[in-house]
Amino acid sequence: MNFIDILKGIWESSGLYILTYKEGIMIIVSFVLLYLAIVKKFEPLLLLPISFGILLANLPGAGLMAPPPEGGAWYQAGLLYLIYMGVKSSLFPCIIFMGIGAMTDFGPLLANPASLLLGAAAQLGIYVAFTLSVALGFTPPEAASIGIIGGADGPTAIFLAGKLAPHLLAPIAIAAYSYMALIPVIQPPIMRALTTKKERSVKMSQLRPVSKAEKIIFPIVVLVLCVFVLPSVAPLIGMLMLGNLFRESGVVDRLSDTAQNALINIVTIFLGLTVGATAAGEKFLKPKTLGIIALGLTAFAFSTVGGLLLGKLMYLITGGKVNPLIGSAGVSAVPMAARVSQVEGRKANPTNFLLMHAMGPNVAGVIGSAVAAGFLLLMFGK
Amino acid sequence: MLAEQSISFLDALKLSGAGMAVVILELAALAMFVYLLSFIICLFEKRKSKTASSAPILSSQPPAVGVPLPQANADKVELIDTDEATAAVIMAIVSDKSGIPLNRLKFERIKKVED
Repeated sequence: MNFIDILKGIWESSGLYILTYKEGIMIIVSFVLLYLAIVKKFEPLLLLPISFGILLANLPGAGLMAPPPEGGAWYQAGLLYLIYMGVKSSLFPCIIFMGIGAMTDFGPLLANPASLLLGAAAQLGIYVAFTLSVALGFTPPEAASIGIIGGADGPTAIFLAGKLAPHLLAPIAIAAYSYMALIPVIQPPIMRALTTKKERSVKMSQLRPVSKAEKIIFPIVVLVLCVFVLPSVAPLIGMLMLGNLFRESGVVDRLSDTAQNALINIVTIFLGLTVGATAAGEKFLKPKTLGIIALGLTAFAFSTVGGLLLGKLMYLITGGKVNPLIGSAGVSAVPMAARVSQVEGRKANPTNFLLMHAMGPNVAGVIGSAVAAGFLLLMFGK
Repeated sequence: MLAEQSISFLDALKLSGAGMAVVILELAALAMFVYLLSFIICLFEKRKSKTASSAPILSSQPPAVGVPLPQANADKVELIDTDEATAAVIMAIVSDKSGIPLNRLKFERIKKVED
């Protein structure tokens, strides 16, 4: 063995030698996403681990997402592959839903139950994107996974895609979270196009106070009602309502605090990292990915339209007591979509304060998208 | 249910309609339930407050002394949807919090604004 052979051996086993052009592109994509997360602060809590996961998964020869060797033990798999089992088994999205439940105040929804209808109407984009995806040649489970992007709910999108089309998980998760971060850009033009200044200026009356008993009974009944109709929705709604009961019961403050802080943060790290790690160049850089990104935007837009149209109907029925802008908050994306309603409402009438009114449809959207996911899982799940 | 089947555009449209209907009906049922729940709780709390106001006040503390309800004041106060016992308590609280003796306070009216 001479010195040149040793150098040659080192070169041939180096990452630079085995780097494919697709891995190179994905590494650049990860840098762009890291820039957006750190400098532009686009959903940094998720985008940062996702983009770092993309970087780790595309490092040539690192094998962090490698499955265990044939006949080998499970622990011989790559580090990220092991963590990814939490996504594949739906464990992480469901735990995140528990944290969301512990952080959610359903008070505005209880004070104005009609909000639930706005949350339902804002799921329109899911089904529009599903239908278009089928027309474009995606298989029904793939189309269902793409459609759920319109629910604007990251954990729900990951939950459904992980079950129905795991090979599309990365583009679906990235599209869902990217569009959620871009809600202040996507929604306002649609809101202004579909409503008049008079409608946007409507000031809504103050919400009634909600009793503690209502807040405690609500999660239990939602769970029972939803699961009796759609058993497939039990993991998502079950964990969401458990977290909410922790919060509202007032007797398990430590559990509530853990669910909405430490636990959700830990799981967010694992979820983001491994969702990003599924975006290996070989799988991600396909024409299908562009299709998914375009369909995701369509889904978001139509969900906004659905909520706004029902908001307009309520405006007409109530004789101008409902501001239609709160309808667009029915796309989950809590609390970003509600904030957009508030901002647009104030632009039309500086004395307007819509935030609490928009929070009702906003949290109803979380339940609505979970129900929609349950329906699609019932139809296309194995 | 349809995991292995391929579906046409028309089938996708039908499924979308059914899916949207399920979401709307489910959430409409929840809305109905919330209305019912708030109605029952409201009714229950009304009954509870009525019972509490008609029942004699049982307190381990001795009745407040030194803050007698000024006769002149009590006669002139207009009570709207408020009973005398509640009005007396409100006057005593206002006096206590403001530090002004009751005989130097003048109440025009005490009105119950909402339940």
